[in-house]
Amino acid sequence: MTFDRDPFSFIDGFQHWLKVFGSFAGGIFAITVLLALGVFGAAGPVAVINRVFAGLNDFLNLSPRRIWAIALLTIKEAVRRKALLVFVVFAFLMMFAGWFLESNLRADLQVKNAVSFALTTVSWLTIPVLLLLSCWGIPEDIRLRSMHTVVTKPVRRNEIVMGRILGFSTVAALIVVIMGVVGYVWIRRQVSGADLICRVPVYGTLKFLDREGNPTDKGVNTGDIWEFRSYVEGGTKSAALYDFPVGQIRDRIKIESRFEAFRTHKGRMGESLQVRYVLVNPTKQLRVPLKSFEVAEFALNEHLLENEVKYFDEGKQETRTVNLLTDLVDDNRLRIEVQCLDSGQYLGMARPDMFLRLPDRSFLVGYFKAVLGVWLLTVFVVSVGVMASTFVKGPVAALLTFTILIVGQAFREFMIKLVTGEQKGGGPLESWYRLITHKNDSTELEKATSTAIMQGIDEVMLSVLGVVQYLIPDLSSFMMSPYVANGFDVPWSVALARSLAMTVGYVIPCVLIGYYSLTLRELESK
Amino acid sequence: MEQQPVIQIKNLTKIYRDFWGRKKVRALNSLSLEVHKGEVFGLLGPNGSGKTTTMKLLLGLLFPTEGEINILGKTASDVSKNERIGYLPEESYLYRFLNAEETLDFYGRLFDMSPQQRKERANQLIEMVGLQNARKRQLKEYSKGMTRRIGLAQALINDPDLILLDEPTSGLDPLGSRDMKDLIVKLRDQGKTIVMCSHLLADVQDVCDRIAILYAGELKELGRVEDLLKEQQQTELLTSKLSPEAVADVEQVLAKHNAKLLRHGHPTNSLEDLFLKTVQKSQERPGQRYVPAGSEKS
Repeated sequence: MTFDRDPFSFIDGFQHWLKVFGSFAGGIFAITVLLALGVFGAAGPVAVINRVFAGLNDFLNLSPRRIWAIALLTIKEAVRRKALLVFVVFAFLMMFAGWFLESNLRADLQVKNAVSFALTTVSWLTIPVLLLLSCWGIPEDIRLRSMHTVVTKPVRRNEIVMGRILGFSTVAALIVVIMGVVGYVWIRRQVSGADLICRVPVYGTLKFLDREGNPTDKGVNTGDIWEFRSYVEGGTKSAALYDFPVGQIRDRIKIESRFEAFRTHKGRMGESLQVRYVLVNPTKQLRVPLKSFEVAEFALNEHLLENEVKYFDEGKQETRTVNLLTDLVDDNRLRIEVQCLDSGQYLGMARPDMFLRLPDRSFLVGYFKAVLGVWLLTVFVVSVGVMASTFVKGPVAALLTFTILIVGQAFREFMIKLVTGEQKGGGPLESWYRLITHKNDSTELEKATSTAIMQGIDEVMLSVLGVVQYLIPDLSSFMMSPYVANGFDVPWSVALARSLAMTVGYVIPCVLIGYYSLTLRELESK
Repeated sequence: MEQQPVIQIKNLTKIYRDFWGRKKVRALNSLSLEVHKGEVFGLLGPNGSGKTTTMKLLLGLLFPTEGEINILGKTASDVSKNERIGYLPEESYLYRFLNAEETLDFYGRLFDMSPQQRKERANQLIEMVGLQNARKRQLKEYSKGMTRRIGLAQALINDPDLILLDEPTSGLDPLGSRDMKDLIVKLRDQGKTIVMCSHLLADVQDVCDRIAILYAGELKELGRVEDLLKEQQQTELLTSKLSPEAVADVEQVLAKHNAKLLRHGHPTNSLEDLFLKTVQKSQERPGQRYVPAGSEKS
């Protein structure tokens, strides 16, 4: 995963949600009206519109007590169907995990392993259990006809869907909180000698200067296919320009960085690359070079900038003192230029490789934010599961939900590459054809009618996939354990707000689809 | 006095279709009938005649292919009608992991009842259906008769005006069956309207005011039970015991009026009456048992 995510904006997110939701809802409405017109004549569209208004009425007359009744029933059902046996599995794993985790590692790596293990275990145990429960609840009620005794009471179908989602989400909350607490105690005992830290980073923007000192968006590419990091050429005017928002910092500033070194020659034996930070105020034309330091590959570099910064002015050949916040901070931003001093060597960096470090938070807070992430993902899974279970049977609903979960977590990027044509080799049919005929993905296919037909069908399938990719979210933002495992706080704007908004954004259409699905179908077990 | 209809069904047709929308079964064909306030109405018919389909259409569990349903002044799809309806399904499809108290509490919540109301009503109904000793047991441990009782209790949780009972006496022993029938009559006397469907014709005859007989989805008979059963061409006399001579005299008198004595003998009680009497005696005098004539007394 990457920590380099753009901050989430609720307004932009909401606008995007409205566009996607509005397009799909409008499209479904239009298709339904046209179908109704074709099948039932003029009465059809009227019936559809009446149904929409009846739905609106049902949502305006929701009863919290009935929703809670269904939620309570769901909780009791989960408990009595022995869902909580998951704790036994968890306890078993926690008892013996210590035997298999390497204990001769560096302290921070031990913490990383222990935190990753605990949080992964919580999510891997909670999500499958809740996925199965949520996908089986309503279909079982319909099969056993228990649903008959519910819908013949003054219960609206949306109350059933909402009650189910609320109930399963409460069960999930209970499971993740208990497991989270046990996991926390286990981590404390497991890494008793190491510090559990929760750093709060402030990331800036990153631009570069080329070897002539001209601004550029990217640095040098040293031949790496992965373009995440750009390189600064040593011994030239090339530099990386980090601009940090200083925000609420009113005191000294702590800087942390880890850089990659790319050597074109061995350099001086036993010495690492020499790197220098220069604090720049572009408005005042003030440049404050700090003392150079050695950089080992991805080793931690820590600097503390006091309020008064002393430096040697090379032009005037004298030592001067400037105030960090009044002289160097320009428009509430601090610019740090990173230079590599060794000629012929390259220093690699990406935006998150350097940050300002605010005072640390409690590890407990960061840890439980990650636990909250697991819960939010479970709520997402539960909502999709309950929604799917209103129109298909349990196994199919489980398969559908599982597919969305897996694609959203691991294959979304691949799906987008397929849709945008970035992925070579064509669509499904063309890929099969290439596999069978042993043609690699960059070989031109012969021009023939059969090829055109095959590519035409692929085009249609990829267009469908293009629509589907809007429906499947990027679920990787729910996975917050890497932040905590690497000693970082879980950022609100980047991870939590995004996950929270995504969960709410999916719960709403899930409830709507579930409601209409239950309302428009006969609740007979057929 | 004009009778107030609680249920009005007009030309109700239900066709079950397969996945592709092709007609599979015509379960109900143009059914029209009314159920009046304060009566016990029986829906009769052999298996597959459309009784349960009618009931599910009334409750909105199925959608009609054609026709109209008006139930308590509302359409069948209107959820608010359920505020005044109680429904006992054919099998008691309740949540088997709940106990009796939890079951009634759950259904009480669905009617937005307060905790106090739910508690009082649950106690009252558990006592009424005789499940005091099993109130904490999960329903999966219940016998079929007990399940029917708790099913009935949930149907009455909201003190409904209209009660729909699908095979109410199925699975009950004669004692339970008698209790159920007594309860139906008692509910009718309280002014409630009851619609029941049953295979057990004796039960229907015992409690129903009016019946409809369905066959293959069509209405074949509709009317008051006594009117439908009355044999207009025969007269029944019930007298104290007659001697053979007296019977001969009666035959002579009948002959004078161009009538014939078709059958005479001693009237018999129903097996249900005999069973109930025996059980009642056993309860009053425990320990006494039947000893066949000729066997030795120990």
